[in-house]
Amino acid sequence: MDVVYTQPLKELLQMSVYFKEPTIVLVENEKDEKVAKLNTLFPCYLITESTSDNDIQKLKGKLRAVVGGSIKANELAVKIKADYLISPSNSKQFFDLSLAKKLTDNNTTVVLMFEELMKLNSFERHLYWKNYTEVAKYCKIKKTKFIVASGCKDPLHVRPKIVRSDLAQMLGYSKELANSSIEQELK
Amino acid sequence: MNIVKVKKSTVPLSKRERKRYVLFEILNAQVSEKDFYFGFWIELLSFFGSKGLAEINPKVVLFKENKVIIKCNRGKETDLIGGTAFVDKIRNKKIILNPLLTSGTIRTLKEFAKI
Repeated sequence: MDVVYTQPLKELLQMSVYFKEPTIVLVENEKDEKVAKLNTLFPCYLITESTSDNDIQKLKGKLRAVVGGSIKANELAVKIKADYLISPSNSKQFFDLSLAKKLTDNNTTVVLMFEELMKLNSFERHLYWKNYTEVAKYCKIKKTKFIVASGCKDPLHVRPKIVRSDLAQMLGYSKELANSSIEQELK
Repeated sequence: MNIVKVKKSTVPLSKRERKRYVLFEILNAQVSEKDFYFGFWIELLSFFGSKGLAEINPKVVLFKENKVIIKCNRGKETDLIGGTAFVDKIRNKKIILNPLLTSGTIRTLKEFAKI
């Protein structure tokens, strides 16, 4: 299972078929959702702190992802029982064991968007890596699902499943959990 | 003064450090072996640093028809495969490195890749 942003879907579908892996496309509106469904990809709605409660209610039963980075975003992910928490930050101890436990109970998957790491310079990269080793450590202790996703806007930046699983292991996440998280089935 | 020629002792096979071989395929573009080697090496060096790269000890063993066999130290194949995620461009050509198989012998990989 891979998570990417909206992009040329025809090429993305080719990559998805080649790597034999279901791909989740992060969408923001119904139009994008329909296009993704037409291409046999899995649409997932991006929810932010500014999304109204009404809109969140409407999206019940669909895949929902919250972009992390702040305490409020983490709380929102727990409150709405989001399917994915994208790129949570631990810069000010935002991510801890209690949050990891809540995410496990809600069956939420923590997602690292690999493309973000690629764009950074070596200094920023080390901070980013440090942050994620801590997040992966908490996820491992509480058995929270954790995956490294391509998170790209270009189909040629999609990375194969084995590579992403190995990246999760390099972050300290266990092999069994990494494989089971990345191979979870989508409905 | 007598110069005594001493025969170099070789480390027996059983005591040599074990290696792992990983078969990769290069998707999307044709690159030459030299370009691949430098592009690959630079990305891994920038991510792992000198010490990390020395521990992995990657070496290109075979390059044929956009398929590459890379040798590394045993137990470091996870790092090697994970590190290849950072290789996205070689000579301004966008590529994807897809790991196909990891093995302890080159022969298995050659048979698998039919090269």
